Amino acid sequence: MSKATVMIVDDALFMRTILGKMLKDKGYAVVAEAASGIETMKKLHDCNPDIIFLDIILPDANGIELLDSIVKTRPQTKVILCSAIGQEAIVRKGLDLGARYYVQKPFSPEKIAEALASLGE
Amino acid sequence: MDMSQYRDLFVSESKGHIQGFNELIVRLEENAADTAAVDELFRHAHSLKGMAATMQYQAVADLAHRMEDLLGRARSGEIGFVASLADLLLEGSDAIAAMVSAIEAGDDQLPDCAGLADRLAGFSVDGAPPPPQPAAGADAEPGTGDRDQGTTPPDHQPRQTDSFKSVRVRTETLDRLVNITGELITTRYRLADCALHVEGAQLAEPLNRLSTLLRELRDEVFQARMLPFSFIADRFPRLVRDLSRKQGKETQFQVEGKEIELDRGILEEISEPLVHILRNAVDHGMETPEQRIAAGKPGLGTIRIEVTRDKDCVTIVVADDGRGMDSASLADKAVEKGVLSRVQAQALTPHEALMLVCVPGFSTAETVSDISGRGVGMDAVRTAVQSLGGVLAIESDLGQGSRFLLKLPISVSIIPALLVETGSLTIGFPVNAIKRTIELRNSDIGEDGGESFFSLDGSRIHLRNLNRLFGQTSTPGSRNLVPAVIVEARGKMAGLAVDRLLGQREIFVKPLGIPLNRIKGLTGGAITGDGRIVYVMDAGTLL
Repeated sequence: MSKATVMIVDDALFMRTILGKMLKDKGYAVVAEAASGIETMKKLHDCNPDIIFLDIILPDANGIELLDSIVKTRPQTKVILCSAIGQEAIVRKGLDLGARYYVQKPFSPEKIAEALASLGE
Repeated sequence: MDMSQYRDLFVSESKGHIQGFNELIVRLEENAADTAAVDELFRHAHSLKGMAATMQYQAVADLAHRMEDLLGRARSGEIGFVASLADLLLEGSDAIAAMVSAIEAGDDQLPDCAGLADRLAGFSVDGAPPPPQPAAGADAEPGTGDRDQGTTPPDHQPRQTDSFKSVRVRTETLDRLVNITGELITTRYRLADCALHVEGAQLAEPLNRLSTLLRELRDEVFQARMLPFSFIADRFPRLVRDLSRKQGKETQFQVEGKEIELDRGILEEISEPLVHILRNAVDHGMETPEQRIAAGKPGLGTIRIEVTRDKDCVTIVVADDGRGMDSASLADKAVEKGVLSRVQAQALTPHEALMLVCVPGFSTAETVSDISGRGVGMDAVRTAVQSLGGVLAIESDLGQGSRFLLKLPISVSIIPALLVETGSLTIGFPVNAIKRTIELRNSDIGEDGGESFFSLDGSRIHLRNLNRLFGQTSTPGSRNLVPAVIVEARGKMAGLAVDRLLGQREIFVKPLGIPLNRIKGLTGGAITGDGRIVYVMDAGTLL
């Protein structure tokens, strides 16, 4: 069975690049990247990813609201929240809303592996 | 994973964020109600933080983190977007820009921005002290409270200095001025020592004049580093309120003497200890309204901080009218925990027994709520106070409440110290940290189970040999008189036998570098006029 497909949502190209590299190193296919809420919703339907790495702070959308709509419209898609120190409250809310796991920045290959393992990947 | 390949991407993207950040601030200065701009500022800071942390540029990440926190407060409406906030945020983005430029240039050594990070963390709208201090120090009116808001017209460009009468000075510059002043004072002592060996030099008068001028210089430099207590206290009301609410307690909180100024270094050091004392006061001191009423007290409890100044000392008192502490049961607990023997416990005065809460590990049995248990215990509080050359005292009446008194010098770095000689070492004890000195006759010293004791004002005091504590060979016991310094450690008096008392001096204390700073009990170093190295000791930690 081939590995799951992944979409990365983060407004920073730098972050998307680094996370993408880590995922590719692990053999995952990054099928889409998005830098905003609108871009996410536009691309989501076409690329149909198994997993989304979703940053909770985005320029045009509240990451938590975006999460809520993804979870409601695409329950089969597993969302991993990307947060930073000091955002524990938002993360908790995200997990309550249906995010499967969260990764606190800075990213490391180990943290990404742990998050993927939590999804049974 | 090798991150260096992403450095260029980091630099270019960071620059974009910084530019966006600066533009938004200007936009907000035109319209402070533009909440979307605040949201965007928050996002820029957030992105910078995440990127920098990933690249392991911790200094950049820390600064961005503070800015993000501050913007979080602005976003939630806790603070308004006032001119001083804009100034501070711009200062932050300038600092990050400088660091990013350094990274771009391949420079691994990033500028230290800890001071700025602290100011970002401690920002408050009404108490925000302006970074530049009045040049005319002594004449400036006290209480910088509303200076920058009151005098800044709304359509004014806030980043331009109001007049040529004040300038912005970086805190590093002030630190350097303090250092240089300290060196000058040391040099003056050295000069005076040299003058003693030159016959007919007639240096007494110019040396006296130099002393006076150096004192003036020192006072002016220190004045420039002063910040009002409100700089750290403005976050306390909220802290007490939140803690109380969480635990179903009702507490009113008052601060008196907010305007009293202390050296910013001291404020930095005592901020966390005060938070700890306040947490304790709410966690352990305050009763629930029901318990209070049952005890015949008003349901609403009070926690007060009083700051008073007396010459060169500031006393900060944190008082609560809660349940108080029972010195007898503290002494019992110390015996239970093996900290003291039954006999030692019985010999404690009530005050000494209260100080037991400062023994490391003593209070671990306290309920660890999510609020306490942050790794700062009362032992850390006491250490922080003493390392500043201050004294911590605790008073408590069962059922009536507790008072924590922190007596602190107004400024650190140059402190009066008692110098003693022990073996080949010269040791300085901050004068504030010693009780007294004494010369003991050999016949005054008794032995008990291999330990030495002497008697003072009716109590038996343990005498330790400082040479032995430092692993030096012990002083021969043939002396008639043994000089000793009496200090308080773990709530008990102790004597330290030394070879010679050299007298009191003002010394300029410098922090020690690695590995000396890891030695238990050593808090700093100084150099005397004759070039001798003085190790500054915290006796409480050593014993």
